[in-house]
Amino acid sequence: MVFIDDKPYAWQADMTLADLLARLPDGDIYAVVKFDGKLISRPFFASTMVPDGARIVPVPMIAGG
Amino acid sequence: MHLGSSRTVASFSYERRDAHKGYTDRFLDMDLSRPSISVKTVPLQIKKIFVGGRGYDLWLLWNAVDAGTQWDDPQNAICIASGPMGGTPAYPGSGKSIVTAISPLTGSVIDSNVGGYFGPYLKFSGFDALRISGKCASDTIVFIDGISRKVDIIEMSGLPDDAYALSSELTDHFCQGKPMDISVVSAGPGAANTRMGCLNFSWYDSARGRVRYKQAGRGGIGTVFADKRIRAVVARWEKVSVKSNNPADLDAVKNVARCHAQEIVALDPKQNEMARIGTTHLVPIMNDFDLLPTKNFQFGSHPAAFLIGREAFEKLFDPGFDGCWKGCTVACAHGVKDFVPFTGAYRGQRVFVDGPEYETIAGCGSNLGIFDPYTILEMNFYCDAYGLDTISVGTALAFVMECFERGLITTDHTGGLDLSFGNRLNALELVHQMASGSGFGAIVGQGVRRMKGIFAKTFGADASLLNDIGMESKGLEFSEYMTKESLAQQGGYGLALKGPQHDEAWLIFLDMVHNFMPTFEQKAEALHWFPMFRTWFGLCGLCKLPWNDIVPEDNKDTPEPAKVMKHVQWYADYYTAVTGNPASPETLITMSERVYNFQRLFNLKMGFGTREHDSLPYRAMGPVTVEEYESRQQRYDDQLTGTHQVDIIGKDTAWKVAVLREKREAQYELLKDAVYKRRGWTSDGIPTVATVKRLGIDFPDVMTLLAAHGVK
Repeated sequence: MVFIDDKPYAWQADMTLADLLARLPDGDIYAVVKFDGKLISRPFFASTMVPDGARIVPVPMIAGG
Repeated sequence: MHLGSSRTVASFSYERRDAHKGYTDRFLDMDLSRPSISVKTVPLQIKKIFVGGRGYDLWLLWNAVDAGTQWDDPQNAICIASGPMGGTPAYPGSGKSIVTAISPLTGSVIDSNVGGYFGPYLKFSGFDALRISGKCASDTIVFIDGISRKVDIIEMSGLPDDAYALSSELTDHFCQGKPMDISVVSAGPGAANTRMGCLNFSWYDSARGRVRYKQAGRGGIGTVFADKRIRAVVARWEKVSVKSNNPADLDAVKNVARCHAQEIVALDPKQNEMARIGTTHLVPIMNDFDLLPTKNFQFGSHPAAFLIGREAFEKLFDPGFDGCWKGCTVACAHGVKDFVPFTGAYRGQRVFVDGPEYETIAGCGSNLGIFDPYTILEMNFYCDAYGLDTISVGTALAFVMECFERGLITTDHTGGLDLSFGNRLNALELVHQMASGSGFGAIVGQGVRRMKGIFAKTFGADASLLNDIGMESKGLEFSEYMTKESLAQQGGYGLALKGPQHDEAWLIFLDMVHNFMPTFEQKAEALHWFPMFRTWFGLCGLCKLPWNDIVPEDNKDTPEPAKVMKHVQWYADYYTAVTGNPASPETLITMSERVYNFQRLFNLKMGFGTREHDSLPYRAMGPVTVEEYESRQQRYDDQLTGTHQVDIIGKDTAWKVAVLREKREAQYELLKDAVYKRRGWTSDGIPTVATVKRLGIDFPDVMTLLAAHGVK
């Protein structure tokens, strides 16, 4: 099981962050997520493996400055 | 108490008027040349049109200067104001001051916003705004004592040179045992010896038992301050509560404040963690998206960027509450205690560094090829102490470093300094030189625009290359975001009233990452709405961070997530509750439109404010050099062949650079057309008669100004 915003999702072996977010209806809008407390940006979603039990929080990045 | 002798040259006692529905309806007017101190009424019509804060500042400044006024003329005025909601402790981000003057860098009106306690203390002392014109003959302190209802102009000797010591000693001198009652506005030697001086606005951090400060950085207002020989303006006020503004509906203020404050407390730890790490999270994110300015905006990322981001500074920041105004739950004003500089007058001493924020890290770090957090801290510390804007300093140093590496300047010009990117010791040496007005630093302190002229005329450097890589527009140095791949953000910088500063429009993520605005019309709409709404914070004495740096969890499901409309509605409710004037999200925009267009007209009055002044250096639009192009070759080749349908087979990089430039410069001009049309301006970028009439800013001198420019 993995958790996005505290909601549980089924975990699969060899699953990347991009795979996981693609399952969400609005997964394409996320530019940055907090992955077990560490910031991961979209360019690295496809290369970030998701371990069982991971906790992911999408970070709103619409602000700045 | 370590200060020297003092002599009161003017003193003025007054009957204090308490704030009512957020306003005192009076301003404090001072002419240091005479010297004179007076209290004047804000006319009702002016209140309705200009709202407060930046609006009041602009009105006061407009009436102080004429078209020929230069930044160092006595007529130039420093105007400081809060706003109707300024000073509310319960609502996050309600402690901003807004400062305006004619800028030494741009020659036109500049505005800069800042935290600290001064604006609220000024208002509760009885004044919605302060205007200071004239000049002093010797070092002078202005003391506004709202408790004793007295304003003094005091000549004072023996003052510390730098703002770090001066803020602390003046707090001690005036506080009568209650340092929390004091806020000091000060500059420093760097402000006196450059055109990029900042103002430090202080507050007392009771938990740490020390004076802290934030900076009104942009445009050299600190330089104007120093030119007037003002060493400090000090405000004294006592207890503040949510009742201090005497809001029209106290319960409504409490309710909306509680909603917003509680949401921030709940969501900031899950989102950007600004209460813990400030804006340092932006460093790795900007780097990942190729948006972190590196080596004078040539590149947008660097492998060493992780050394100067969130993970570095979360270990360095001193934990604790860091709000720059009372009760702000964003609390992003972090600092580093017991830092020991290794250069300059404080070498070997333990100091407290207020910051750094993202802009300082990028400007004084990655953009200089420096990836050492301790050097950034030292530059942050000395810039603040010297009264120098870290953004202009960073961008100016980045420019000279690129000029040095390209051989446009040599050690013959730099006084022997090797200014290669990454040379942290010589970067620091330049900051010290800028502060003292000595050596090559005296030239750097003139800013990028003037350096371009000096390097071309005196040093024989290639003027066209200097213009392409010198990152200034309207005379103001760029703040620290890469704009090459975001046309909307090019507009956000190039069309900004004061010059390229992100507080007017920050659209990079919306445009480039989220692709929310693919068409010209959508970009133009964004370049209307966002600058207007961001302007509104400056009218009201508010910080914009609570609006969209922490957002509701369901925000992404709303029709316009980029606008965070739930918060916009809260701000309308907040304004209504304080002032008693009904407001909606739409009317907030109209309030800003009045002031925004007035400021555009102010630029016109000062000889600027037309299409030609909204230009950008090409480095802001695309790759200037072959090296830049080839560093992102796939991206640029794809754009040429895809977006622009250009056949690039067999073409060399120099050819492709030139063709891409032609395309991108044309796009920027089309964007200007679309934005001017949306804003109700002529094709030359001047508000039309219909626009000024619609907004109610058709004052006789405005109509005369428009007629003089052929707008009838």
